[in-house]
Amino acid sequence: MSGLRELVVPWAALAWLLRMAVGGLLLYASADKIMNPQDFAVIVKDYRLLPDFLVNIVAIWLPWFELVLGFCLFTDWWRQGALFLATALLAAFWLALIVNYFRGINVNCGCFSSSPSDDAAPMLWYIGRDALLLCLPLLAYEAGRRARAQDA
Amino acid sequence: MRHVRKTIGQSLGIIALSAALAFGVNAMRPDGLPLANAASKSSVQLDSAAGEISIKDAAMLFITNRAVFLDARSQLEYEMGHVKGAISLPPREFASQFQDVKPLLAGKEAVITYCDGERCPLSINLAKHLRDAGVKNVYVLKNGWTLWKAEKLPVEAGGKGGAGMSRLPGALAGKTQEGICRDCEN
Repeated sequence: MSGLRELVVPWAALAWLLRMAVGGLLLYASADKIMNPQDFAVIVKDYRLLPDFLVNIVAIWLPWFELVLGFCLFTDWWRQGALFLATALLAAFWLALIVNYFRGINVNCGCFSSSPSDDAAPMLWYIGRDALLLCLPLLAYEAGRRARAQDA
Repeated sequence: MRHVRKTIGQSLGIIALSAALAFGVNAMRPDGLPLANAASKSSVQLDSAAGEISIKDAAMLFITNRAVFLDARSQLEYEMGHVKGAISLPPREFASQFQDVKPLLAGKEAVITYCDGERCPLSINLAKHLRDAGVKNVYVLKNGWTLWKAEKLPVEAGGKGGAGMSRLPGALAGKTQEGICRDCEN
């Protein structure tokens, strides 16, 4: 019975699908930030979690980090590292939003757009959405593990 | 263990590659960011010369706790409802109450005065008093109370003014109407 269940769950395909979803998400998220680094730096600063000297450095690097992660997940290149870093990145975003929610700071998420007027929503919406997004790489990791066990 | 080493190695590779791309492209592009300086502008751009602030910018300063709001309306109207955390400071009470309020203005990027109605002069008068007293970055949120409520921004009721003021001006009975200037001179 358990053998039958393993047969009908295509873990490898599911892991691939989830990796594509996370990769696509990261590629999409990086595009606008790379195009508008000044605006993204303003959003990073408004989070008020980093010392001033790190704001521009993070604003320059983070969108490219997302781009490279998205590329790796899409092409299955350095998959383990990319999946680990994608999980860490989404967890860091999620924690930053939670910290600011409890500090009473309502920031523009800057998740998919660097424009202050776009993407404006209540903090709890951002926190809920990021929690769901965080599930994607975790599920991809688990599906990958089960796919390897299935192959063994 | 081999799995962990592989993950760490790949992670370091991705970080290094993304950093090389990011700083390389930033150095080449004409609108690249300087590495040393933090973004000097904020998503709120304040124009000191104009003296007025939009509801959107006022709201942004409010949610990031960078402004202090001064309610220029009467104490009674203030107690009926005001911008959350605003301090009551009617212009006619300025001389007697400013010293109590002054410490609360320190360290804020903007001091925003508001009253109610498009032609309400109270917030403008209060802003003038503040500037005369040497307060910088004073802005008027025109028709502030009506706009603030229309945007469903945080409000509170009661007499909790930051400076603990509780005096009631005498003749302020009667219904109020949103958008109509009360205490106007004409």
